[in-house]
Amino acid sequence: MNPDELEHAGLAAAAAASTTVEIDAVRVEFLGRSSAIKLALREVRDRETGMRLNAVRIALETAIEERADELARADLDRRLREERVDVTLPVEGHRRGHLHLITQIRREVEDVFLGLGYRVVDGREVETTRYNFDALNFPEGHPARSPLASLFLDPETVLRTETSPSQIRTMEAQEPPVYIVSLGRVYRRDTPDATHTPIFHQVEGLVIDEGITLADLTGTLDFLLRALFGEERRTEFRTHYFPFTEPSIEAYVSCHVCDGAGCHVCRHSGWIEVGGAGMVDPTLFEFVGYDAERYSGFAFGWGLERIAMLRHEFPDLRELWRNDLRFTEQFA
Amino acid sequence: MRVPLGWLREYARFDASASELARRLSISTLEVERVLEAGVPRVEGNAAHFVVGKVVAADKHPNADRLQLCQVDVGNPDPQQIVCGAWNFGVGATVAVALPGSTVFSKDGEAFSLGEAKLRGEVSRGMILAEDEVGLGKDHAGIMVLDDAHAAGTPLADVLPIWEQVLDVTPTGNRGDLLSMVGIAREVAALFDGELVLPEVAEPPIVHPQWIEVAVDDFGACPRYLAKAYRNVTVGDSPAWLRARLGLAGMRSISNVVDVTNYVMHVYGSPLHVFDRARLHEGGIAVRHARDGETVRTLDGVERAVDARDLLITDGEKPVALAAIMGGLESEVGTETTEVLLEAANFEPIGILKTSERLGLRTDGSNRWEKGVDPHLAEAAAVMASRMIVDLTGAELVGSVDVHQGLPERPVVHLRPQRTDEVIGLVVDETEQREILDRFGFEVDESWDVTVPTWRARDVTREIDLVEEVARAVLDRVPRTMPLRRQVAGHLTRGQRLRRTIEDVLVGAGYSEAYTWSLVASDPDERALRLPEPMAAEQAVLRTTLVDGLVEAARVNLDAGNQSIALFELAHVYCPSGEQLPHERWRVGGIAEGGYAAARAAVEVLHSALKIELVASRAEQPALHPGKAAACWWGELHPTLLEGTFGAFELDVDLLAESVPERILYEDVISFPANLQDIAVVVDQELEAGTLVEAIREAGGPELRVARVFDVYVGDQVPSGRKSVAVHLAFQSDDRTISDDEATLQRERIVAALSERFGAELRG
Repeated sequence: MNPDELEHAGLAAAAAASTTVEIDAVRVEFLGRSSAIKLALREVRDRETGMRLNAVRIALETAIEERADELARADLDRRLREERVDVTLPVEGHRRGHLHLITQIRREVEDVFLGLGYRVVDGREVETTRYNFDALNFPEGHPARSPLASLFLDPETVLRTETSPSQIRTMEAQEPPVYIVSLGRVYRRDTPDATHTPIFHQVEGLVIDEGITLADLTGTLDFLLRALFGEERRTEFRTHYFPFTEPSIEAYVSCHVCDGAGCHVCRHSGWIEVGGAGMVDPTLFEFVGYDAERYSGFAFGWGLERIAMLRHEFPDLRELWRNDLRFTEQFA
Repeated sequence: MRVPLGWLREYARFDASASELARRLSISTLEVERVLEAGVPRVEGNAAHFVVGKVVAADKHPNADRLQLCQVDVGNPDPQQIVCGAWNFGVGATVAVALPGSTVFSKDGEAFSLGEAKLRGEVSRGMILAEDEVGLGKDHAGIMVLDDAHAAGTPLADVLPIWEQVLDVTPTGNRGDLLSMVGIAREVAALFDGELVLPEVAEPPIVHPQWIEVAVDDFGACPRYLAKAYRNVTVGDSPAWLRARLGLAGMRSISNVVDVTNYVMHVYGSPLHVFDRARLHEGGIAVRHARDGETVRTLDGVERAVDARDLLITDGEKPVALAAIMGGLESEVGTETTEVLLEAANFEPIGILKTSERLGLRTDGSNRWEKGVDPHLAEAAAVMASRMIVDLTGAELVGSVDVHQGLPERPVVHLRPQRTDEVIGLVVDETEQREILDRFGFEVDESWDVTVPTWRARDVTREIDLVEEVARAVLDRVPRTMPLRRQVAGHLTRGQRLRRTIEDVLVGAGYSEAYTWSLVASDPDERALRLPEPMAAEQAVLRTTLVDGLVEAARVNLDAGNQSIALFELAHVYCPSGEQLPHERWRVGGIAEGGYAAARAAVEVLHSALKIELVASRAEQPALHPGKAAACWWGELHPTLLEGTFGAFELDVDLLAESVPERILYEDVISFPANLQDIAVVVDQELEAGTLVEAIREAGGPELRVARVFDVYVGDQVPSGRKSVAVHLAFQSDDRTISDDEATLQRERIVAALSERFGAELRG
């Protein structure tokens, strides 16, 4: 057999193979145990012929492998093309749960204040009237002291009506400076309806240090409100009254829906009332033994439900307590 | 509180629109709920179509018995003909007229445009008005008859508030002084650099003086009782202007005498009351606390039981009013009344509040007394009321008495102006601070001793209260700064981080978070704290377990047809402590479709996330299937609680926290791979896997790192009453590779121990 002819025939056969089966057959025919070249190599006696045959063998091996790779790749491509799926179809996947909307807001508020260097303090829900009213400077006869407004266990024990008792407990437990927030359930004797539930959640903030001013309070609340409702919001503060702060203010944020133009969410005022705040009343300092001349401070107490309702515009607060997954799963 | 602006401008001269006024007051004084438009329909130029008319002729309509044909002088050379359906006036009457082109309200409150019309063949050019047609009240019984002093053609807007804006405001609880026109006027004058013009009223003279007996037995409850008596009173309707003002202020006109008391209350904020003096025993008053068993029939006709806590106005013999809250029915001023006793008293808030709450009776009067009323106001109020009663009813003042034990002194409070700046964080120069205080009615002397006005004596007693007065005036100028934060400690506590981890792990495991009531109908712990006066029987007990709330939440989802229900809650429970306050403990509870395995899987994943070894033991738990219940606790929900197969768990977070390792030490599990062995042993069916694994661990020694049951088989392949338990074992050391020989030896030691303790046989 003429090596040139052999090479020529082998290369032609490899090039002609159109399937992996055919190329396998070509490999057996031209490079197999009983192929002409293997037989010839076994018979070869002179160096020159041997080199020539080896060169042919290598050329054939290379050509056949290349062709085999090409054909295998073509086979794979064909299979992959056939395996295509409808990517618009859903699959049965991993089911994820959801945090309660109030927990989401709670964490958001906590994280804002953690970033500002505040601690988060856990308060208790069943309180003495001393912590819930007396220490907070609620005057005798204040409506909140009435069993018509609050839930009493006995005349000296009440389900806390605001998160503020945690202020007193914190101040009793440590010396200034104090930078804390405290979040949790509070209780009022309100008949449940779309905008009231007897249990709801507040965030309480308290700062006591040297030189704390009303301007520090408005600055802090401005920061929080823009974190919650958007950087582009404006804030406004209006005078108010609370027994435990003096001066007292109420915080307003420009409406996040209409940006102040007036819409149903802000009741056409452009502003949304968010909650109360003020400079800690010196009476509280007396109660906990802080020096009111040396220290000053501010406090605020806001409803988390109100923030949730404003942000997501759901019509009925009671949904937060029904736990229907169709409601829960709408939020993050 | 309603503040009609036309009325307000009588007491305060200022230059601002209603919306500017609302905004400024909102920031510095009180909440402005809204600005109402009152009077005729708001059509541009509409007010110009309303004038005063004089009826120059009035005859029956020739073609209609129920109509009058009037000729009305409206200031033009010739009177104009108007057909009218009312008969409460005649020739000479001064009336309000809407001219053609005006827009008025129909009986149903719809606005309509008035044109010239023919009524039963007669031309009618305009309309003689009843108060409801110009938005000044509800009355449609007759037309408004005006004061004859008004000339024909006078714009009606000069006579009646037919084009008026009304602020609806809510003062805070400490500002009872703002429940009055004068109080609001003072704020407005101060905030807009305007002028306060207090009403000046000349008291009518006393004729034929009579003695009025007034006795007060508790000046603590009733610090002042000022009474005035009148005779020859003619009780009748109030004039149109008075009715209109009361209407704008949100009050109903009753009669001239009663309307005067309400009007003056609105002006000064000090409530008044009138008695039919002929019904009072010897025309006198005795203020005292009620006696047990006493009753008083109030104006609303209700017989009310009172006791020693309640303050009464009596005539010395019988109760004639529930002091400060509501008058008595018997002494009510009615059309027959000719003698009147006017009460301008002062009552202390606390007792009134308690009586009003106990009786569930709140009135405009009690609402003001509860917030505290300046006792000095009684006199000005009595003088204005006296003037009006005499002027409007033709009465004569016959006596006046003022009983008190001295009126409270005005507090004097020292202010350091630099303290104001320190608290606010804004420099307000001394001149401005002085001006602000002065305009709010405070007197500041050279050394900054500030005398508080009587109407603020209750809530301004300290320096900080004065600082607030300045602060509220400059509130819109306060800059926004951040506290210096000399010391910061912004981090969550270990417990707080742990709770976040628990929440996140459960959410990742497919559980959604539920919030359920802390108050429940009943609790398995009979010592659980109970509210003596719950809002409803379903919310009477402070829970000691989360399970009821979660079952209810799951039921809501079942009823809604929701799939794959899995809920958890992380909240407080309230465990009785034997002391005043319960132990409030954090618990995490869950409920999920899938029965026992679902609960166990959740508990396992929680333990694994917290790096706590899960140790299980059988227990009884009323909420759980008795055969599928583990202690502390998880298991399959008792089938009577919910339809379907649910798993439930509740873990004490504080207890879990105690087991969480402080820090986790590295173990070398990479350098020397583990030697894995499986064994299957046949044991008694009753033997719990946990006991078996514990025995394996004991026998296995320190190199046994994993012993986990992966299969339990009961059936033909093992004898009856026995089961085969298959366990994965992993032997590992951190200093050498454990050889198969060594592992086999260990394995045999384990099998021997199990054989000895449980009669276990190695299977297969």
